[in-house]
Amino acid sequence: MSTQSPDTQTESETDPQAERLERKEERAEEAASAATETAEDTVELKVFRYDPEIADKQEPRFDTFHVPRKQGMTVLDALMHARDHFDSSLTFRHSCRQAVCGSDALFINGSQRLGCQTQIQDLNNSDTVRVEPLPHADVVKDLVVEMEHFYDQMESVEPYFSPAEEPEGEQLQSRENREKIKMSTRCIWCGACMSSCNIAAGDNEYLGPAAINKAYRFYFDDREGEERQQERLEIIEQEHGVWRCQTQFSCTTVCPKDIPLTEHIQELKREAVKSNLKFW
Amino acid sequence: MSQSYDRGLIEDFGRWREFSAGMWAWVFHKFTGWVLIAYLFTHISVLSTALPAADASAAVIANGEDIYTQTLHGLESIVIVRFLEVGLLAVAVFHILNGIRLLLVDLGLGLEQQDKSFYASLVLTGAIVVASVPTFLSGAF
Amino acid sequence: MAERYSSFSRGGLAWFLQRITAAFLVVTLAFHFFLLHFYNHAPEITFAGSMGRMEVPAYWLTMVLFLGTATFHGVNGVYNALVNQGISGTPKRVAKWVLIVAGVALFVQGLRVSFALAGGSLL
Repeated sequence: MSTQSPDTQTESETDPQAERLERKEERAEEAASAATETAEDTVELKVFRYDPEIADKQEPRFDTFHVPRKQGMTVLDALMHARDHFDSSLTFRHSCRQAVCGSDALFINGSQRLGCQTQIQDLNNSDTVRVEPLPHADVVKDLVVEMEHFYDQMESVEPYFSPAEEPEGEQLQSRENREKIKMSTRCIWCGACMSSCNIAAGDNEYLGPAAINKAYRFYFDDREGEERQQERLEIIEQEHGVWRCQTQFSCTTVCPKDIPLTEHIQELKREAVKSNLKFW
Repeated sequence: MSQSYDRGLIEDFGRWREFSAGMWAWVFHKFTGWVLIAYLFTHISVLSTALPAADASAAVIANGEDIYTQTLHGLESIVIVRFLEVGLLAVAVFHILNGIRLLLVDLGLGLEQQDKSFYASLVLTGAIVVASVPTFLSGAF
Repeated sequence: MAERYSSFSRGGLAWFLQRITAAFLVVTLAFHFFLLHFYNHAPEITFAGSMGRMEVPAYWLTMVLFLGTATFHGVNGVYNALVNQGISGTPKRVAKWVLIVAGVALFVQGLRVSFALAGGSLL
């Protein structure tokens, strides 16, 4: 309900910069009036706080922020607003804010989700947003969790392209083969899946859905050759590899890149059984 | 490096309201599994009364006065045992139905509907148990 | 049958056998329940009645296979539940051997029961 009408343009010369500056002023005025109207419309943001170096936060607690609601805002937007305007000690990882870097996986209203990918209006309770660090990981500070264990599991499956032989010239992949592994290449190493798995929570040695999916991506890549395929299979068919998966499906549900993780793990189990049966 | 904080099992049973279908299936399958293996041990123990019973005379066996028959009839005459048998049926039926669901998942079938198939096995378990109650409790009172 | 229990370290075989025994048990457990609760009634079971069934070689064999597969499936299931829970090192080895011994004992005792119920007909 702006009281300014758009045509309060003074006689400006057709100077583009002057026009731009005028429009900028108008926008600022409109925004200011809009802000006062929506001041009462806020989102209640409850955030997990922990800091071993601050006496008050050595026992974890929840801080509540009232963040102004903007249409289309994400949980990451809300967190950034809280940090920038209310408490600059609020600590969390974030980077691309477009769901490709995997930094901001959080536990939001009881589910593992990326902060930048979660619109507040899509949550089933959009008035109160409860943000916690990923479950089953040790908390370093506030919403930051220890990711070393996750990276260790990923590294143990040799997550890099390593063909036994390299051909002369280009190493081409067929379209069908690409299609087969396409979904498995989408992993952004966010850790949501590992955090949602009850087996990963109980058994520290379990490779976890992300690592096994990574193994899948290379196992089924034709360009690596059969010998490498066998070697890769041997890594994941150990006791704490694919066999620990109990098809709980939580990983598939929470993956922000929609990778059918359980399905991939199941395929690898079948591959392992088939390859072992041959020796009888 | 300051110490990091271990929150322990966060998704433990305090948060049961947030459990997904797949997680309930896993929890129930484990629970029913434990019950069934515990039952198997007690079942074989009870049936072991057949060993002394086999030494009884033919007349005693024909009359149903041997220790095996007496033990089983004795147990079946206790009302709580009858109800526990209904519970055993529920546990076994769920474990079988969810087990079939898991076998299908292992074969790569029905992954898209895995939560619906869990609900279906729950409903079917309920239906079978309810339908069986009259048979199980007949003559108990 | 002893070699069934020696493959716990090879996760793949145990996983596979768990599924095979599961498929077999779906049928036999359902059959067992149906026979002894619906066709016959539990309160009416007698030694003589049981003997009548167990004297039939095919039935006896089915029951013994039922016992064997159920024992493996159950004991292996418990072992897996413990591994998922994170058991490791010495407790894990102890649990494994306790379970193996308990499983073998269960099977042997069940076998003795089956012979007692079959009378002298199988000897």
